[in-house]
Amino acid sequence: MAFDITIAEHEKGIYQLTPKGEINTQTYQQFEDRVKTVIPAARALVLDMSQVTYISSMGLSAVFRIKLAIEERGGTVALVNMQPKVQLVFETMKVLTPQMFASLQEADQYLDKFLDGVQKGTIQPRKPLE
Amino acid sequence: MTDSFRADELLFSDLKMVTPFIDGMIHKIRALGCQEEDAFNIRLALEEALTNAIRHGNASDPRRQVSVHIEADSRQVAMDVHDQGKGFDFLHLPDPTRREYVNRPSGRGVFLMRKLMDEVEFYDQGSGVRMVKRLGGGL
Repeated sequence: MAFDITIAEHEKGIYQLTPKGEINTQTYQQFEDRVKTVIPAARALVLDMSQVTYISSMGLSAVFRIKLAIEERGGTVALVNMQPKVQLVFETMKVLTPQMFASLQEADQYLDKFLDGVQKGTIQPRKPLE
Repeated sequence: MTDSFRADELLFSDLKMVTPFIDGMIHKIRALGCQEEDAFNIRLALEEALTNAIRHGNASDPRRQVSVHIEADSRQVAMDVHDQGKGFDFLHLPDPTRREYVNRPSGRGVFLMRKLMDEVEFYDQGSGVRMVKRLGGGL
């Protein structure tokens, strides 16, 4: 299945990204490169995973690098609407499980709280991994 | 619906070969009546094994090859992936889900293979891996 991703900025610095297809050995770089184009301007990324049918460890690592890149800028990422098999892969690997949400509404609540914490200074950018 | 199939293939160490090869194998495995959940798990384990063989085993050296042997029937799928590298210390891999390792961006492939398949056995100092999935189970 061909891979594609759509990107929309809903509020200033808050992007919704909708990848479609498989995030695998062949497509993970395309996925990561496209997402990283918005990171310099992003405060938050919402990854709508509803149309991702498969993910391998290369895809997981790409998602993880995206998470680190946005957190180092003081932002965050939320993953929503995962298909059950894909969600099970994330849960098995314990990757980003606190930032997985069943709906956009739940993700919005998390983002509101997060961005409020950033504004008040209670949430700081992550230090780069050594 | 076919009863069984057997495949013996040699792949060059090129990651671009992985997805088309797996697509072909999974198509044949599905033709045995394999459930979607099993097909997903077999696909993922095979991708992890091939990716490790090419990237780590063969160091992406295009002169080195990966041999793949698959035997499948309606009861189980057995896969053997062997690279031409030196192997690795498969007995002392860190658990990537532990707190001290979970922030590492890589090192999850072997863990996934062990979770997805019913049997995973490394041999030849880790340059080969045999995996078995009995059909009808789950993750």
